[in-house]
Amino acid sequence: MGEVILTMKGIDKSFPGVHALDHVDLEVRKGEVHALMGENGAGKSTLMKVLTGIYKKDSGTITYEGKEVEFHNTREAQDAGVVIVHQELNMLGHLTVAQNIFIGREFKKGIRIDDKKMNEEAKKLFDRMHIDIDPKETMSRLTVGKQQMCEIAKAISHKAKVIIFDEPSAALTEAEIEELFKIIRDLRDQGLGIVYISHRMDEIKVITDRVTVMRDGAYVGTLITKDSTKDDIINMMVGRVIYEDPKTQNMTPKGSPVVLKVDHLNAGKMVQDVSFELHKGEVLGFSGLMGAGRTETMRALFGADPIDSGDIYVNGKKVTIKSPEDAVKCGIGYLSEDRKRFGIVVQKTVAENTTMADLDEFCNGPFIDKKKECEVAQKFVESLATKTPGVDQLVVNLSGGNQQKVVIAKWLTRNCDILIFDEPTRGIDVGAKNEIYKLMNQLAAEGKAIIMVSSEMTEILRMSDRIVVMCEGKKTGELDISEATQENIMNMATREIN
Amino acid sequence: MKKKILAVLLGGCMAAGLLAGCGGGNDAASSGEGTDAAAEDSSSGGGDYHFEVVVKSFQSTYWQAAITGIDAAADELGVDINTTGPNAESDIADQVNMLNNAISQAPDGIALAANDQSAVLPSLQDALDAGIPVVCFDTGVPDAPEGSVIATIATDNESAGAVAAENMYPVIKDAIANASGQVRIGEVNQDATSANISGRGMGFINKMKELIEADGKTVAVIGNQYYVDQVENNGDEGSADVIIEVAVPAQTTVELSATEASNIMNKEDTIAIFGSNQVTAEGVLTANQNLSVLAATPDEGIVGVGFDAGATLKAAVADGTLIGAVTQAPVDQGNLAIHALYDYCEGKEVSDIATDSYWYDAETMNDEEIAPNLYD
Amino acid sequence: MANKSVSNTAGTNRSFIDRMGGQKFIVLILVIVMFIFFCAMSPGFRKYTTVVSILDYSYYIALMAIGVTFPLLTAGVDLSIGTGLICYSLIGGYLIVHQGWPVGAGMLVTVLMGVIFGVINGCLVALMDLPAFLATLCTCMITRGFGAFIVGGYGIPWPTATAPGGWFRSIFKIQVGGQNIPIGFLWIILLVIVMSFVLNHTKMGRYTRAIGSNKEATRLSGVNVKFYHIMAYVICGLFAGLAAIAYSAIFATVQPGSGAGFELDAIGGAIVGGVSMSGAVGSITGTLIGVFVICLLKTGLPFIGLTANWQQIITGFVLIAAVLFDILKRKKEEGR
Repeated sequence: MGEVILTMKGIDKSFPGVHALDHVDLEVRKGEVHALMGENGAGKSTLMKVLTGIYKKDSGTITYEGKEVEFHNTREAQDAGVVIVHQELNMLGHLTVAQNIFIGREFKKGIRIDDKKMNEEAKKLFDRMHIDIDPKETMSRLTVGKQQMCEIAKAISHKAKVIIFDEPSAALTEAEIEELFKIIRDLRDQGLGIVYISHRMDEIKVITDRVTVMRDGAYVGTLITKDSTKDDIINMMVGRVIYEDPKTQNMTPKGSPVVLKVDHLNAGKMVQDVSFELHKGEVLGFSGLMGAGRTETMRALFGADPIDSGDIYVNGKKVTIKSPEDAVKCGIGYLSEDRKRFGIVVQKTVAENTTMADLDEFCNGPFIDKKKECEVAQKFVESLATKTPGVDQLVVNLSGGNQQKVVIAKWLTRNCDILIFDEPTRGIDVGAKNEIYKLMNQLAAEGKAIIMVSSEMTEILRMSDRIVVMCEGKKTGELDISEATQENIMNMATREIN
Repeated sequence: MKKKILAVLLGGCMAAGLLAGCGGGNDAASSGEGTDAAAEDSSSGGGDYHFEVVVKSFQSTYWQAAITGIDAAADELGVDINTTGPNAESDIADQVNMLNNAISQAPDGIALAANDQSAVLPSLQDALDAGIPVVCFDTGVPDAPEGSVIATIATDNESAGAVAAENMYPVIKDAIANASGQVRIGEVNQDATSANISGRGMGFINKMKELIEADGKTVAVIGNQYYVDQVENNGDEGSADVIIEVAVPAQTTVELSATEASNIMNKEDTIAIFGSNQVTAEGVLTANQNLSVLAATPDEGIVGVGFDAGATLKAAVADGTLIGAVTQAPVDQGNLAIHALYDYCEGKEVSDIATDSYWYDAETMNDEEIAPNLYD
Repeated sequence: MANKSVSNTAGTNRSFIDRMGGQKFIVLILVIVMFIFFCAMSPGFRKYTTVVSILDYSYYIALMAIGVTFPLLTAGVDLSIGTGLICYSLIGGYLIVHQGWPVGAGMLVTVLMGVIFGVINGCLVALMDLPAFLATLCTCMITRGFGAFIVGGYGIPWPTATAPGGWFRSIFKIQVGGQNIPIGFLWIILLVIVMSFVLNHTKMGRYTRAIGSNKEATRLSGVNVKFYHIMAYVICGLFAGLAAIAYSAIFATVQPGSGAGFELDAIGGAIVGGVSMSGAVGSITGTLIGVFVICLLKTGLPFIGLTANWQQIITGFVLIAAVLFDILKRKKEEGR
C-alpha cells in the first residue's frame, strides 16, 4: 500500500425525508483494493455518486491527490482520473466495443470520428489486460462477462488513478470473476486505488486489502482484511451473526413423493434433452456457468418459451404447458432472475403485486376487493418479514431483498407448490440474503418443492438438497449434497467444453 | 434552470405572437372595424338591426370572399354585423359553440354556413324558441326544425358542374365527332362523400353525357364506384365512343390529385380533363408541369377546365393553360343572406335562392360581374 | 478452460442479407421489383414524365424523412414536421408574396422557422422531459394554427417558374431542350451522403444513436446528452424547413390547414427503410430507399387503376410488414 490518494471526510447528504449519508469517512491509498461494504440502502452507492459528482454533497470534504476537490459531473471526475464501473451494465448495445469505450471523448480527424484509431487503442487496452475481445464487435453480441471487461477497459483508458467497482461480480460466473480479479490485482500492482463494492463475503476476503463498513448511511469502521474474519465484517454490517448453516446432507424426508418430473425436455439450442425429478420438500439446486441453459430450462418449464419436445408430469399426471398461465394452473411459480423486468411491477404497490397472479380470488364481479387484497398482503408482509412502511407502498421504493419477498408472496398467494427461484439473491445484501435462505428452507419444510438456479457456488452448496449441473444446454450431472464439492461441480459444469 | 428555460420559451412564443400580430392579423381586424364604422355611419335603412354571421371557417379565401359580400350588404342596408367562424371546416364542435354564443346575443337574425348538417340542429331549435330567424347560406340544413330556417341560399352544385360541361363541350365537340376510336374525358373529384363535391361531379357527368348522346355518340362512365353507380343507363366500356373516367385521390392533397390526374392525362386517348374544386384543379396543373399536355384544343393536347379560384388557378386561366373554370358566387351568397334577413325583419316574404355559378375564361375574368367572386 | 464457454460466437456467421445491409437491401430489391411491376402493368407509368413526377413528389417526403431519422434514432419521434412544413412555407411565402421580400430571404426565413421549431421540440423533449410523441403532437397543432394565422387563411402561391423570383423552382427542376430534368434528386443524394457521414462519422451521429441505445449510460459517460438530444430535433426541424422549400418549389399553392399526414409518409418511409421505432438502429440510405417505397406506392397504385380505399389499405399493410420485420429481427437477436 502506498500513500493516500483519496480522502472523503465527514460527507453528509440528505434527500427529502432521508438522511442518506451521515458524516461518512473513506480513505483510499495507492495500490490497495479497498472494500466498501454495507447492506443495501447503507449508502455505498450514494457515497460513490457524491464522489463522482452525480450528487452534490451537503457538507464534508473530498481530498484527491493532496488537493480539496469537488467534481460537478462524471466528466470532471473522469478527467481527473476518478472512474466508476457501474453495477448495472451501462453499455450501448447498438454501438461497437471501441465506440463504447471511447464514448464522450472520441478521437477525431477534423470533424470526422477516427474509428480506426479507436479500434487500435481499444486493442492495445485489451492486450494490456490480457483479454481477447474484438473492438469492432457490436456490444450487444458479447456475453455479460465480456461486457464487464469492456467497462473496465473503458475505466482504465481514462488514465484512471482511482477506479470504483460497484458490484462488478453480480452478473459474472465464477470463472469470469477469477479473470476479473486477475485484472484488479494487475491494476493494484500498477499503483491504482481501487474501491470495491460487493456483497460477496468470500470475494472480499480474496481480493481486498482493507474494508470500510457502512450501516444506515453512517460510517461504522475500517478493518484490515487479512486481520479480520468474515464474522467481524458481518457483525459490523448488521450487528449480529447471521447465515444459515450450510447443508451437509439431504434434508428431504425419506420417500417423499415426486411432484415434478421433466422428461427429455427440448426447447431451442439452450435446452437439449433435459430430464430431472423434484421431490416434495426438496431444494433442488441448478448449477452451471453463465449461458449453460439453466434459465432457459426454467423458462421452457414455465411456458414462457415454446417447448420443442419432451414431457412434464406434475404429481404424476402428464400436463401440457404452453404458457405461463398453464404453468400457474399446475401450481408452478417462477421468480425471475431479473426482478425488475419480469418479476414485479415496480410502479405498483406491494398489495397490488402480491395479488397479481391470483387476482380473480380478490374480485367481486368486475371490482377488486381492496380490503381483502390489503389483508392478504399484510399477512405476507408479516410472515415474510418484508420491510415496508405499508402494503400501499410502491414496490420501486423497496430494497432488492424486500422486492424479492413481494414476488415470493405473489406466488404463495396463488398457493403454488412448486417454486422456481432463479438467482434469488442476485443484488441482495447479506442480511436480506440470509432471510431469503431462511424463507426457502422454511417453505421446503412446509412441503413446497423448490428449484433454485444459482451461479454462486457457495449458495448452491449451502442451500441444495440435490444439485443438477448443466453445461451448454445439456444436463451434465446430478449430485446429492453429501457428495458435492466445488471441484466436482465445476468439473461437470465445464464437461462439454473442448 | 428549468424556470429559465420556461421563461425563454414563453418569451419566444410571445415574440412569435407579436410577429404574427404585425403580419396577417390586421386583415381580419381592419375589416371588422370597417364594418362597424360603416354600420354606425349609414342610418339610411329602416331599422338598427343586429345580425350574427357564422361562416364555415376563417381559414379559406373562399370565405373571405363571402365576408366581402356580407360587409357590402351591411354597408348598403345599414345593419350591424358580427362575423365569426372556426379555424377549419372540420372544427364542428367549435362552430356549434359559436352558433350558441350568437344565439345568446339575441340578435335580430343569424346567417349560418353549417359545417355539419346535424350538429347544428339543437341550436337551431334554440334559435326558433328564442324567435331568432336563421338564414342558411352555402350549405342548407335539410332537417332543420320547421320554421327555424327562413331561407337557404346556396349554389346549385349540380348546375355548377353542368356549367363546366356546357362550356367544355363546344371545344371538344369536333374531336369527338371526328375521332377514329374511343376518346376519354377525365374528372378528378376531391372526395366521394361531401354533398357539394359529389353534386358537382355528377352534374358534370350527366350534362356531358347528355350533350354527347344528343350528337349520336355513346358514353361509358368508369372509375370511382360511387360516381359510376349513380349514372343512369351507363354505356359499355368496350364499345362506347366516349369514356368519362372519374378519379378520387386517396387523400385530399395536391400531390395525390396530381398523381390521379397524370394517370388520366398520360393516356393516349384523353382529350379533356376537369378538376372539380380548387385542390383537384391545382392537381391537374401540377401534373401538367411535367407532362405539358394542356392546350386550348384537343388537336394540340388535352383541354383542361377547373373549378373555384385562387391565385394559381386564376393565373392558369389567364395564360390559357386552362380554357376556363367555374366559380361559385360567395360574394353574392353573403350579400343575399344579409338581404334575406333584412327583408324578413322588415316583414317581407323571403324564399330559398339557388345562386348562380359563373363560367370564366381569360377574356371574361375581369368582368364586373365575375371578378369579385375570383378570390385569391 | 471455462474461458472458452463465453467466447463470442458472433461476427462470422452473418447471413448474406445481413452483410448486404439487412432490411435496407431487401427494401431496395422491393423498390426495384415494384418499379418493374408498375411499369409492366401501366403504359402511363413507364414514361419519363412519370419518373420525373415521382421524383418531384418525393423530395419533400425524402427531406422530412432524412430529418426525422434523427429523432427516431434517439427513440423519439417528431410528428410536427408535416404541419410544420406547411407553416414554414406559408410564413416564407407570405413574406415574399405579400411583404415583397426577395425570394432568397423568404427561403432563409422558411428554413429558419424549421430550425426554431426544432429547438422548441428539442427543449420540450430533452430539457423538460416531455414524451416526444406528446411534445411534437402539441407543436404539430401549434404549427398548424400558427401558419394559417399569419397568412390570415389565404393560400400562398410562391412565385411561378416564369414569374420574377421564380428561379428557386429551378433548384429542383430545370428545362433542357423542352425536357424536364429533375436535378432535385442530385441534391437529395448529396444530402443523403452528407447526413450519412454525419450519422456515422461525427460525434453528433454517434451520440444520437447512443441516446437511443441507452440514454442514461450515455449521460454517465460524460456526454452532454441534453445538447445532442436537442440537436437531433434541430436537424429534424432544419430538414422540415428544407422540405418546405421543396414543397413550395414543386407545388403551386401552399394551403393553410393542410400538411397533417405528411409526417406519416416520412416516418413510414424511415421505418420501411429499417429505422427502428425503439431507437439506435437505422441509416440514412435506408430511409431514402424506404421513402421510395412509399412514393412508388402513392404514384403506382393509382396508375394500375386501384381506387383510393385500396391505396390506403395496401400502404397500411406495407407499413405493418416493415414494423413486423423490425420486431422479428429484434426477437431473433434477443433469442440468441
